[in-house]
Amino acid sequence: MFAQFDLEMPDGLDDAVRLLANGNGATTMPLAGGTNVIVDIRARRVSPSRLVSLDRIHVLRGIDRSNGRITIGGRTTVTDLVRSPDVAAHAASLVDSARVFAGQMVRNTATVAGNIACGSPAADLVPPLLALDAVVALKGASGTRDVALCDYFTGYKKDVRRHDELITGISWPAAERHSVNRFYKLARRKGDAITVVGVAITIAAGNGVCTKARIALGAVTPYPVRARRAEALLEGKRLTPALVEDAARQAVEESSPIDDIRASADYRRHGVHVLTRRLVGEAWTKLEQGMS
Amino acid sequence: MSEIVETPTKIDVEERQVGRPLERTDARAKAIGATRYAGDFTMPNVLHAKVVRTNIASATLRRLDMSKARALPGVVCILTGADLPDRMAATDMPGQTGQQRRKTDHQILVGERVRYFGEPLALIAAETRDIAEHAATLVEAELEPYPGVYDPIDALEPGAPLLYGADNIVAMQKVRKGDVERGFASADVVVENTYRTQFIEHAFLEPEVGLAWVDQDGVINIRVSTQVIEHFRFVADAVGVPHNRVRIQGALVGGGFGGKEDITVEVYLALLAKATQRPVRLEFTREDSLVGHGKRHPFVMKYRTGVTKDGRITALQCDFLADAGAYVFLSPYVLLYSVVAAPGPYRIDNLRVDAKAVATNNMYTSAFRGFGAAQACVAYEQQMDEVAKAIGMDPLKFRRRNYLHDGETMGTGFVPPSNIWTERCADRAWVALGEPTESSGAVKVGRGLAAYLQSYGRITALHDTSECWVGVEVDGTVVVRSGVTDIGAGQVSALAQIAAEVLGVEMQDVVVYNSDSAVTPLAGTTTATRALYMTGNACRLAAEAVRRRLVARAATKFGVDASTVDMAFGNVFVADDPTQSMSLAELARISAAEGIHRSELAIFRAPFTDKVDPETGQGQVHPDYAFGAHAIEVAVDTETGEITVLKSVGAHDVGRAINPAAVEGQIEGGATQGQGYALSEEMIYREGRLMTPSFSEYLIPTTMDVPIVQSIILESRSGLGPFGAKGIGEAALTPVAPAIANAVADAIGVRIAELPITPEKVVAALRHKA
Amino acid sequence: MNRHRTISLDVNGRVREIAVPSHRTLLEALRELGCLDVKCGCEKGDCGACAVLLDGEAVDSCLTLAWTAEGRAITTVAGLGSAEKPHPLQDALARNGGVQCGYCTPGFIIAAASLLRETPNPTEDDIRFGLGGNLCRCTGYRKIFEAVSEAATAMDAGART
Repeated sequence: MFAQFDLEMPDGLDDAVRLLANGNGATTMPLAGGTNVIVDIRARRVSPSRLVSLDRIHVLRGIDRSNGRITIGGRTTVTDLVRSPDVAAHAASLVDSARVFAGQMVRNTATVAGNIACGSPAADLVPPLLALDAVVALKGASGTRDVALCDYFTGYKKDVRRHDELITGISWPAAERHSVNRFYKLARRKGDAITVVGVAITIAAGNGVCTKARIALGAVTPYPVRARRAEALLEGKRLTPALVEDAARQAVEESSPIDDIRASADYRRHGVHVLTRRLVGEAWTKLEQGMS
Repeated sequence: MSEIVETPTKIDVEERQVGRPLERTDARAKAIGATRYAGDFTMPNVLHAKVVRTNIASATLRRLDMSKARALPGVVCILTGADLPDRMAATDMPGQTGQQRRKTDHQILVGERVRYFGEPLALIAAETRDIAEHAATLVEAELEPYPGVYDPIDALEPGAPLLYGADNIVAMQKVRKGDVERGFASADVVVENTYRTQFIEHAFLEPEVGLAWVDQDGVINIRVSTQVIEHFRFVADAVGVPHNRVRIQGALVGGGFGGKEDITVEVYLALLAKATQRPVRLEFTREDSLVGHGKRHPFVMKYRTGVTKDGRITALQCDFLADAGAYVFLSPYVLLYSVVAAPGPYRIDNLRVDAKAVATNNMYTSAFRGFGAAQACVAYEQQMDEVAKAIGMDPLKFRRRNYLHDGETMGTGFVPPSNIWTERCADRAWVALGEPTESSGAVKVGRGLAAYLQSYGRITALHDTSECWVGVEVDGTVVVRSGVTDIGAGQVSALAQIAAEVLGVEMQDVVVYNSDSAVTPLAGTTTATRALYMTGNACRLAAEAVRRRLVARAATKFGVDASTVDMAFGNVFVADDPTQSMSLAELARISAAEGIHRSELAIFRAPFTDKVDPETGQGQVHPDYAFGAHAIEVAVDTETGEITVLKSVGAHDVGRAINPAAVEGQIEGGATQGQGYALSEEMIYREGRLMTPSFSEYLIPTTMDVPIVQSIILESRSGLGPFGAKGIGEAALTPVAPAIANAVADAIGVRIAELPITPEKVVAALRHKA
Repeated sequence: MNRHRTISLDVNGRVREIAVPSHRTLLEALRELGCLDVKCGCEKGDCGACAVLLDGEAVDSCLTLAWTAEGRAITTVAGLGSAEKPHPLQDALARNGGVQCGYCTPGFIIAAASLLRETPNPTEDDIRFGLGGNLCRCTGYRKIFEAVSEAATAMDAGART
């Protein structure tokens, strides 16, 4: 590969932030796993003059469960997610996604923060995290802040992260007792493929009704979003098949897919419909069995 | 390990090496990472090359400014079309056949007209790969769009932009047999359908790569990953040197499938090495590879079948239209194969086939495993199912009514000299699917089968030959020298196994030197499922000649008739009295001292014929054919359209399995490549521009996509190859995609007649049906 | 300017020094060092042919910058075994016909070694999952799965003795 950049390899988080802050703004990029950044540099889609490697910042990697929340460091890899008992127990949808994420080598290297930061509408970890009400922790030159993941993206490849900020972690509440969260993606093959439609859901139940509904859509909008109106149709209600069908149709209304080489917008809308109906319906069936 | 079924009970020769699933001679070195592929060779003082390509499919080159690239420190040589005004490169007839080449040579670098996306504009050679890459970004090209044409139908329209001749028709083929009008008149039902296939890519894991240097004798040496070392002739012609001044040294090839059958990097390397008088290395990136070598021809195939109520085919009319892309390459031959295969392995007395290959500004199309016969199978086997459905007959029963049998005549008037075991292969494959998987909810399960015929050996009008040298060393070890290229299927190991069998040694006592056009006897191309047939036969002939001479000498020593002497386990002995024995080493030593010729250079000739009658297509086209079938069970999620292949069984009469594990490997690999062809692979060109430039967009099956493929190997012993072998290389792929298409149609009750069968197409077809 | 350095790479237990620019990938650096058993297939993480172990875990060397591999233990397929003493994965693949053109083989062996380290007794699904990032165009994968199972059994037996 031919490119030209300075490569910094700081040992500590503060050093990394300082290097990002006093770089040339847009031409300094953080480098975590590199599974997107290196590909983009080689393809000349980006030409950073400086890369700040986060490889040596071990504090950014890890999975913690405490105070009713699961917190994962930004540099936690996709394989870490697959292996984590806490993630398995509290975020099955994230495991679903991690298990269909690329191949072993990429999973061993790619990071959660990187998947969020890359800004791809098809980033597979984002829909599950959205449906889990995840919060992103940012650290920059002026300090730390938390941003709800649903507020993190503002447009196609646009987000609130400033050039000097790193995603240091992401967290979400531990799973409620009577809740189910799942993710499914449609693609042109089962192994390692860019998502055509991805849907993640979290459904919680109590007293015979749905107490929480989250439906997050991937690859069908400029950035992954929650289908809030669809969610609103479900909350507080008993989820009959007819209601689930309505919510699925509503979710389609909240998507805006495009035609591309992988699929047409029409098929994608169809995919949103089917996946939403199935995932919500199956979750409710499971919860009903639990409640009876 | 599969069970080999169906062998004759009487076995003439006890075989000690042949027929055993021995570890291949090349396997271990590959597994420990010791094998050197073409890209692993380098030399001191080497330059690194890069091909600069157009980014538009149809254009006129108005201006090419290389000055900034030339000025970059470390850039040593730049060549453009202007530097090569009289030089052209052959696209026709790879190999050694000595036949007159068609006048289809093409420009090496763009002179004025750009005909396909990515067509090479310039060559850069620099001190490092980085500099070459950097220099390529500094090239300024002014390309004025020129009207292009991207569909064969459009290319046939009067007034269409011309890429070939006066009408863009690159090749035409016809078959006429019997009287189709009378045949249709006597049919109870006539079924007409059109089947379409897509551009696909070979996707070998090793991209094209080579190293060239000019030696002290002025010979241009090229170490290259290729299926054809005989290209030295065409390289010499392109560069303007005599044929004996180009030497091609192959290496073990990291996959070919027909994609390294045409010249790839050789001419660029030769030109740069000659211009710089330094070694030059050129490695295609994956993007170069996807853009830069010929693809499989898309075909539109219209089938019209007349059939009686009780399932006899009375007439068949086929119309084929193939996209030849921007240059001719092997289109005429692919078209010929397609019309020969058009009826399938069935007896059709009234047949009319018309086929055209038409030039467009899409990427040029050329050789790919199956070579036109694979596309025909996609059509004829789907049509067989559709016809069976139209008359309400079970698809297997319908096929049984119509199979070609031993001694019967193909649509082109040829009687295959070997057994035609299609029926027993099909029946075995179908039975091997076992208990049907239950459909459940939205997921529907279906089954499909496809039978096939696939030629082995090249077109007989090419007068194909293969040479091989076999010798016994003074210490009793064996050497084989063959120009054969090994593209991964064990072409080299097979020669070791054959030589070991004939000379009575273990396979590890044989060393094969291969693929050097200067020093190994030319074996011809590794294409057309010919390597085992042609080179295996040449090897066997050579080994047998050596054996005869050595055995004669041993017989003298033992005082017996030569016919009673056998060779095995490194010894030579009287078969009925093994106490009369000597080691092969001892015999070789004696022979060396007495001037007995311990080696032989043999030539094997395939049948030589003239070209077939151009009006009727009647005549012999290939030496022989392999027959078999593939059976598939799929599950289709009728809501999402997702297709999962649950079971995949290939049953093939390979004549004789020289190495059963290698045959299984081909069946398993072919089944997987065929699955990709059917379901997930598509090279997408829009206005000639490639939209699928990497393995993220071009999707071949992964470990997550495939079932465990089952192989059923049948051995009729009737093939023309060594020990009665036929060939499996292409046959392993040919029936798979249509079997999958048939299984999907069975599952969802409607046929998707265009490959690839994607989830989106399934959903659309079901919507349309409802 | 931090664009050129001489780095130390620990390759198969031997420390090698190499002067490389910051943009040099580990794949390029390893091949420059003569580790020709590391193969280039796509340079963008789609095919797995370039896989190496970093501290025992498989990564695509084409997506790894050479500088970032300093201080890690790098293992290539040649470091797992030799002709005289092959790794069980190498031996099983060579014997059972799971090697055809062989170009993908080093990457598969690395990925399988990484898988077996984490999952010493993999099911077929575990094997498919662990090898999903490695493309093979020749074999259809069946014999690769079988070789990995066989090697896992042999290694398990070896570990217990």
